[in-house]
Amino acid sequence: MSPIIEIKNVTKEFKVLNRREGLRGSLKDLFSRDYRTVRAVDNISMDIEQGEIVGYLGPNGAGKSTTIKMMTGVLEPTSGEILVGGNVPYQNRTKNAQEIGVVFGQRSQLWWALPLVESFRLLKDIYQISDADYDNMLALYQSLVDIEPLLHKPVRQMSLGQRTLSDILAAFLHDPKIVFLDEPTIGLDVSMKSKIRTLIHALNREKKTTVILTTHDMGDVDALCRRIVIIDKGKMLYDNDIEHLKGFFGSYRTLKIRVDGDLKTQADVIQNALRDFSVSADDEWISILVDEEKAKVIDVLGQLQRSFSLRDMQLEEISTEEVIKKIYEEGVQ
Amino acid sequence: MKRKGLGFYFRIYCKILAQDLKSKMSYRADFIISTIGMIFTNISGFISFWILFRSFPSINGWSYYEMLFLYGFSLVSLTPVQCFFDNNWSLRQYVYSGDFIKYCFRPINLFFYYQSEVFDIKGLGQLAFGIGTLAYSWAKIGLAFTPLMLLKMIVFLITASLIMIALQNAAAATCFWIQNSFYVLDLAFRFKDYAKYPITIFSPVFRFIFTFVMPIAFIAYYPSLVILRPDEVPLLSWLSPVFGVVFFLISYRIWMYGATKYSGTGS
Repeated sequence: MSPIIEIKNVTKEFKVLNRREGLRGSLKDLFSRDYRTVRAVDNISMDIEQGEIVGYLGPNGAGKSTTIKMMTGVLEPTSGEILVGGNVPYQNRTKNAQEIGVVFGQRSQLWWALPLVESFRLLKDIYQISDADYDNMLALYQSLVDIEPLLHKPVRQMSLGQRTLSDILAAFLHDPKIVFLDEPTIGLDVSMKSKIRTLIHALNREKKTTVILTTHDMGDVDALCRRIVIIDKGKMLYDNDIEHLKGFFGSYRTLKIRVDGDLKTQADVIQNALRDFSVSADDEWISILVDEEKAKVIDVLGQLQRSFSLRDMQLEEISTEEVIKKIYEEGVQ
Repeated sequence: MKRKGLGFYFRIYCKILAQDLKSKMSYRADFIISTIGMIFTNISGFISFWILFRSFPSINGWSYYEMLFLYGFSLVSLTPVQCFFDNNWSLRQYVYSGDFIKYCFRPINLFFYYQSEVFDIKGLGQLAFGIGTLAYSWAKIGLAFTPLMLLKMIVFLITASLIMIALQNAAAATCFWIQNSFYVLDLAFRFKDYAKYPITIFSPVFRFIFTFVMPIAFIAYYPSLVILRPDEVPLLSWLSPVFGVVFFLISYRIWMYGATKYSGTGS
C-alpha cells in the first residue's frame, strides 16, 4: 500500500517586506519594493503510512504550521510535491477536506453559539455522513469519553478543556483518513491532557486514522508517538522512531544517590572510585552519569553499596525533552 | 463523495440558518434591542426623507411619490445584502486574527460557508418597511398592477440586490490585501445612501462615478426607470440585469482569489 501522505522536496517561500524603523521608515515602506525571501520550509521529504501517529516537532517558527497548511491545502508549496490520500491538496482543497480533520491550536471550528450536538448534525450534513456511520461514531465516542454532558452545552459556555475535546471529536466525526492536531493539549490541566491523549490513542487504534501531531508537550509525544519528525528553521533534522532517538545519544542513565556525610567530599571519593563516569553533587543528591555500554547501572550500584552506606537512590532516564533540546541546540551529528 | 449541487447547498443553508436563528434567540435581549433599533433606524430615515421632500415637492421633474418609490426600491434591494452577506463586515477581523483559516478546512464552497454563518434578521424589518413604501407610492403614482409589471419589478429588484452584494463583496475582499479594509467597506456602505436619489440631480462627474465607478445608480435609479418611466428607459436600464450578474460574479471571483492568497497567521 502506498503511503497516505507523500511529501517530496517541498519548499515554501514567503516574500516579506523589509520594514524600516520609525514613522519616516513606515512612510517609505508604503512605496517600497524591497522584499526579501524567507524560506519557511526548506526541501522537506517524508512518507507517512496509514494509521501512524507522527509527532511533528520543532521550536516556534520552525515551519510546522506552514507544513500543515500545505498538507491541508491552505497554502501552495513554492516547489516540490505533496500528495495527501492521492490528492494534491492545494488543487483539490474541498476534496481533500473531505478526507482530513483538523484541530488548529485553540481556534475552535465549532459553531460558537450552538450546543455540540447541533454542530455535529451540521457536520453530518456538510460531510454527508450516513445515519448509520454517524450513530456508530457517537456510540464509539460515548464508550471512550462521557460526552453526554457536553452534547447539550453551547460551545461558548464550555471550558477550554471541554472545547478542545469537542473539537477533536468533531475532527474525527466524518471518519477522516488523516487528522491534523496542532497543539491539542496546550493550556490544559494534567487530567484533561491525559484524557485527550487516551482519546486520540483510542481513535487512532479503532479507526486506523493517521494522526499528525504538532506539540511542545513531550508528554504528548511520549504517550502517543512512535515516530517523530523534527524540523528547525524549515529544515528537517530528524525523522525516525522515538526509541532510536534515545539510543542515538548513547545509553546514558543518571544514577542519583544519597549517602551519609558531606555530599561534596563523598562525591570526590566516588569519582576516584569510578573513573569512567562523571560524578557531581548538589545539596541533595550525588549524580553519576552512567554509560550503560561500559557498565550496567545495577553493577555500579552494587559496587557503591560495598563501600558506602546508601540512604536513598533514584534512577533517571534521559528524557525525550532533553534529547530534543539537545537536537535543537546542537543538531544531529 | 457525492456531488454537491444547488440542492445540497440549499439544504445546508436552511439548516445553518435555522441553527443561527435558534442561537440568536438565545441572546434574547440582544435580539429584541437590535430589532427595535432597526425599526427606529428605518423610521428616522423615513422622517428625514419626508422633511427634505416636503420642502421640495419635485426635484428635476421627479415628484414626491416617485422619489418615495425610489426610496422603497432601494430599501428592498438592500435587504439581501443585509440579511445574507452581513458576515462580510467581520471578514477583516477573521483575517487579521487568523481565525479565517477555520473556513478553509470544510469540504464545501468557501464563500458559501463563510457567508452562511450569519443571517442578519434585522434586514427583515427593512424589507417590510421597503415593501410598504413601495406599495404606497405605487398606488399614489397610479401605476398599473399587471403580472408583467410585477415580473419586471422582481427581476429589477434582484438586479439591484446583486449589484449591492457585489459592491460589498469586493469592498470586504480588500482585507485580504490591506490591513484596514474597514474604510473601504464603510465607504461602499455610505455610498449606497446616494442610491435612493435619481442620479439626474447630481453633477455629470458624480453621474459618471455612480454609473461606472461605484455603480450605485444601478441599485435603484436605473432599474426603477423601467417601472416609473416606461417611455424613456435608457439602454443602461435594460442592461442592468446583465451588469448585476456580471458584477456579482466578478466580486465572487475577487473574494475567492483573495481567500486563496490568504496564508493565515502563525499559531
